[in-house]
Amino acid sequence: MKAFRTLSLFAALVCALLTACITEDVPPNTRRGNFDALWQTLDARYCFFREKGEIYGLDWNEVRSRYLPAVSETMTDRQLFEVLGRMTGELRDGHVNLTAAHDVARYGAWFDDYPANFADSLARRYLGRSEEYQVAAGLKYRILPDHIGYLRCESFEFLFGDGNLHEVFTHLAPCTGLIVDVRNNGGGLLTAAEKLASAFINERTLGGYIAHKTGPDHAALSTPAPLYLDPLPALRWQKGVCILTNRRTYSAANTFVMYLKGLPRVTIVGDRTGGGSGMPFSSELPCGWSIRFSASPLYDRQRACTEEGIAPDVKVDITSADYQRSVDTIIETARALLLNPATSRE
Amino acid sequence: MRASLLLLLLVWGLAPYRGLAQAAAPSELAPLKSLRTLETLKHLDTLKTLTSLESSTSLESLKARPLRPVTSVRLFGIGAANVLDTYLSPLEYTGSTLSFDLLTQRLARWGKGRWGVTARYTFDVAYLHSPTDDGKAWHGNLAAAGGLLRHFRPAPRLRLSAGATAGGALGFTYLVRNGNNPAQGRLAAELSATLQGEYAFLLFHREAGALLRLDAPVLGAMFTPAFGQSYYEIFSVGESDHNVRLTHPFNAPSARLLALVTLPVLGAHLSVGYSADVRQSHVNHLKRHDWQNRFVIGYTRRFVLLR
Repeated sequence: MKAFRTLSLFAALVCALLTACITEDVPPNTRRGNFDALWQTLDARYCFFREKGEIYGLDWNEVRSRYLPAVSETMTDRQLFEVLGRMTGELRDGHVNLTAAHDVARYGAWFDDYPANFADSLARRYLGRSEEYQVAAGLKYRILPDHIGYLRCESFEFLFGDGNLHEVFTHLAPCTGLIVDVRNNGGGLLTAAEKLASAFINERTLGGYIAHKTGPDHAALSTPAPLYLDPLPALRWQKGVCILTNRRTYSAANTFVMYLKGLPRVTIVGDRTGGGSGMPFSSELPCGWSIRFSASPLYDRQRACTEEGIAPDVKVDITSADYQRSVDTIIETARALLLNPATSRE
Repeated sequence: MRASLLLLLLVWGLAPYRGLAQAAAPSELAPLKSLRTLETLKHLDTLKTLTSLESSTSLESLKARPLRPVTSVRLFGIGAANVLDTYLSPLEYTGSTLSFDLLTQRLARWGKGRWGVTARYTFDVAYLHSPTDDGKAWHGNLAAAGGLLRHFRPAPRLRLSAGATAGGALGFTYLVRNGNNPAQGRLAAELSATLQGEYAFLLFHREAGALLRLDAPVLGAMFTPAFGQSYYEIFSVGESDHNVRLTHPFNAPSARLLALVTLPVLGAHLSVGYSADVRQSHVNHLKRHDWQNRFVIGYTRRFVLLR
């Protein structure tokens, strides 16, 4: 009976532990509940509150108190979406998107307020007709008449294979220099950006740093961990490289520029990049809408945040006159720079 | 030659506790279904011819050895799952789950029949949806555990057991709508306390049984990303940040309950019952729960391994 009593006591202890259900307190699926859920999710998980506060005085509590009166239980879905979309816009972050069945709320001032500095019609003039350039793993490339290689990278959505890059760079090997055009590249995989950048380094190189939230407090960030790039196996590009950028060079493309800026033989030409240096995570609201937000900040070699973009080494805009003459001034500047670096810099 | 001989005897009969083997080791006989030990020994006589046992000494040696019947329960389950993982979403996902369980028990070689060896393997997979059905998720677990049980007999047909099991579990949850945090992996090792009760009874003059078993992890370790850490940082950058955490009932209160009734049906033993699988954790500011309630059905086999 003693053993029986011991077993009974143990069973009671286990049952008591079982009552400790772990659940998450989620606001109800009401207008106010969805407002609270969105604000709380971003409050706990968004990673750039400190930087945004320093740059333009973002106060997330003040944002809540400003937008909350606009929420009522009688408003329609679209009205609620508009209020929540405007509230997320206060973060001024292209990685913050509220997605519903009828629309995606997004912040676009990071490129809308600046010159486009890119036109498909101009790019086609340099790439030529379809049969005049080659395509490998999404990379379009050809040799321009003055023996400058032109590599157009529109996206990092797909990972490049070593074989793809070997074929591309082998074809471009006779060129005097290389233009890598990442304008209007909205990003994709960080690993794809690393892979392409690895063709332009000779040894293991520090590319930047990455951190992450360690808790819901705004300042709860981990110690930044170094991001190292390893050279592409059996291939090292030793000639001059110009990276072409504009405001829509964003996210992983912004990181690609961050990796290469400051390296020997690399020149950034064009406009400031759009930024987007926070790796985005996703979550959702009680009503089913999806919310994406920056969760892991990336920093450059000097541990400076690149969320607001990266300045070019040579600032160039395409003017209206250039568009009328069908001249891509940014490409032309890069060509001149690669052919005669000293003259062009002047 | 004896050492290499593996004889598998399936014994489906139900008989009261009596016979030579009972005399040799009475507590080795499980209460749910006793071995028809005398018949078993008759089988051994037959097997002398079938397996070319050449000396009567070898056979006598086998007869003298305590029998250790193995109870093997195979269960197929269907039920409901409720999953929360705040790394992926603050919402609870619910849906249907399918499972397979294999539970084996046998007496230990030592301990005079008072100790048993147990093992349990579980696989489950679930297809889940968010409360508004906008999000879908796949969820799966694979777990294995083994350990020792101390048996007590407070009544002739009642056997209570208590002990410990050590095991491991791995699993995943995949949300189809997320971007850089689409999935969560799980890997854990744990030491559990196990309580078990077995009761044998007669049903239409044939023996049936009931089993109630509770496994509750008391100490372990689990893998988890940090609060906002991406798998890119863990695996591509190689950065670790409290990714292995100690677990105990206060940060990971979990338990598994199995209630079974085993009934004689034709020549077999049908097992039906209920299985509750409660897995929870709250580490690195990340909350998880995996609550599964399943109706289980399967069969129980009993056999003796002679080596």
